[in-house]
Amino acid sequence: MSIADSRLGGTPATETTLLPASGASRKGHGSQTAAGGGKRRRPRHHAEGLEAGKRSTRTLLWILLAIAMVLYGFPFLYLLFTSFKTPIDTIAVPPTILPKDWTLENYTNALGRSGVLASFINSTQTAIISTALSLVLAVPAAYGITRYKTPSGRVFIMAALVTRMVPPVAIGIPLASMMATAGLADTPIALSIAHTTISLPLSIWLMSSFFEAVPQDLEEAATVDGCSRLGALWRVVIPVVSGGIAVTAIFAFLASWNEFLFALLMTAIRSQTTPVVIANFQTQFGLDWGSMTALAAVYSIPVILLTLLLQRKIVAGMTLGAVKG
Amino acid sequence: MSTRTTINRFATIGGLCTAVALTAAGCGAGGPTSSGSAASTVNVLVEAGGHAELTGVAEQCKKDAGIDVNFVELPYDGMFNRLSSEFSSGNVSFDVAALDSVWLPSFKDAVQPIDELFTDEAKKDIFPALVKEANVDGHFIGMPAWTNAEIILYRKDLFEDPQNKADFKAKYGYDLAAPTTWKQYQEVSEFFTKDGMYGTDVKGGVETEWLAHVLQAGSPMVLDGNDVVIDNAAHKEALDFYTSLASSAPPGAAQVDWAAAQNLFNQGKTAMTRFWAHAYRQIPKDAPVAGKVGTAPMIGGSAGIAGVPGPWYLTVPKATKNTENAKKFIKCAYDHNDLGIQSSLGLASRISAFEKYQDQPGYESFGPLIETLNGKATGTRPATEKWQQIVDTVLVPLLQKAVAGGDSAALLADAKKQIQDLLK
Repeated sequence: MSIADSRLGGTPATETTLLPASGASRKGHGSQTAAGGGKRRRPRHHAEGLEAGKRSTRTLLWILLAIAMVLYGFPFLYLLFTSFKTPIDTIAVPPTILPKDWTLENYTNALGRSGVLASFINSTQTAIISTALSLVLAVPAAYGITRYKTPSGRVFIMAALVTRMVPPVAIGIPLASMMATAGLADTPIALSIAHTTISLPLSIWLMSSFFEAVPQDLEEAATVDGCSRLGALWRVVIPVVSGGIAVTAIFAFLASWNEFLFALLMTAIRSQTTPVVIANFQTQFGLDWGSMTALAAVYSIPVILLTLLLQRKIVAGMTLGAVKG
Repeated sequence: MSTRTTINRFATIGGLCTAVALTAAGCGAGGPTSSGSAASTVNVLVEAGGHAELTGVAEQCKKDAGIDVNFVELPYDGMFNRLSSEFSSGNVSFDVAALDSVWLPSFKDAVQPIDELFTDEAKKDIFPALVKEANVDGHFIGMPAWTNAEIILYRKDLFEDPQNKADFKAKYGYDLAAPTTWKQYQEVSEFFTKDGMYGTDVKGGVETEWLAHVLQAGSPMVLDGNDVVIDNAAHKEALDFYTSLASSAPPGAAQVDWAAAQNLFNQGKTAMTRFWAHAYRQIPKDAPVAGKVGTAPMIGGSAGIAGVPGPWYLTVPKATKNTENAKKFIKCAYDHNDLGIQSSLGLASRISAFEKYQDQPGYESFGPLIETLNGKATGTRPATEKWQQIVDTVLVPLLQKAVAGGDSAALLADAKKQIQDLLK
């Protein structure tokens, strides 16, 4: 707002530099114009039109932003409010947004349920391993593809994209059988590998766009200074794309953190993750809205914190991709 | 340089986290083992709602037989996929699976016979329809763990109101009471549809209730052996009765399912509902209708009272290496079947278990449930592997069109062709 105010309202001195000396549309600005005497001038009607246009664009953008925020934020807010409702309030007809009586009972029930804490640990383990696997594989793959530009590299990156188009359920059952045969049934590592199949293609594509944005001159300069190619990658390129790596990591982490189908098919007692536990509140006998929303709200907290923590890196990473060329 | 320091720091933290996670990943945080190979451990795959039903049994089984029970709890919607996946791979992570009755035909080849558990005494103490359903191709393959059926829940306070009683008698010529026939149900529903309230609900999103009316009209539901009989007179009569209630029900019947109907009743919007018996004990204490609900057996048609049982069966997969303990657990579940009644769901499968509680306060739904399950016309769903597909692609769409005003005869004839195609 301060920037907008200074640009629109401005100080008299600033205004004088921009405003013309005469014209029907100069009401109220005559003295400022006179004070501005021999400085560089711009036609008043042009400046006003420009400023008015900016204001309407800005207003439109604010409205669109507000609509987008409501569309994205309302479901989560509704979930949050529902988690504080009493059982009868959660199923009110017609539904209400705010709880009539606020209660923490749903949180007590949800967190007191057996297996919830273990599922949080499992989700964390699985997401960390899956993210690490994705990055370890995606960074060199993307670097190789963008720097060497071979036909096989192009085929590889397209093939990676195609794997995103295969329905997870089609590979879920064979994967579960393979893990069982490998003796990895019902372990977080098996689930992490499965989750990596989801996040790896996206990670390769993301990292490729980030590497593309880094001028090759930087590496050549590092090579001239005595770095090997790997040295240049580690010392020069990786620091430049660190924001991109953060973006890729958070997407990989989220893909694993929220994944349901593989977790449903591949976990039992030892490695069940929280999305499955949340789904367990819906039974053949009904849906415990209060407890389900309470656990979902708690499960959202780590992701929100992670996003806030890496916010700067994420923005930097997104900008990195945007300024290519 | 500061960026590199940051990266090094991130890499170190990430590496440490990964190392810790990888170390811990060997076992996971949920428990020590995933297969019931340990001598005294049994893994039981159960739908989330059924977990509560078997918790007491598991504790008792530990005391009686020294068996530790681990529950693999899954949401209902995902359980069929999981079962299909593990049975088809031949590598199962459980020793006992609680199966919905509609899944028994689909998995009959993947589970073991448990004939020895169906003693004469057991067969007498289990509802006849369940004994019949548990027997597939001449062998008993599942022991019912708990069962359910639709009964009538009604607003006792409204039915006992003197003004309502007098008005009803004056209009219909008989006393206002819980309905026992289709005609009474229609008239009571019509009577209470006033002042923003509705007499009953009509569920267009689920098929079981209409099928119960088909049984009440004297026909097997949908299939008679290998013949598709969905277009016979009983099916049409039941469908016409079902849709006739729409004028006494909240609008939007095509989308009403179990959850919606339960909410409407608990919120005091409907005076009656035909609903699964467990719902009686699940009415929230702060609901407007709490303490004001009466129960009655399911209504009867020309063939008498009938309901469609909703049992779950405990089965032993052929692929388990822990058959002996699995059967011991099922025996425990049968012996201590009444422990399920003390759970939050409050259901059992043995007649004696229900009878033990039926006269106790808070269990008023058990008498009507027993009467409904013992009804001569009460019958189970057809034993075909295609049943779920028939329900999802034919029966529910048929009902949704019917409650929206579709021609019942034409819809049933069309449904017959579709089912015949599915069964080819």
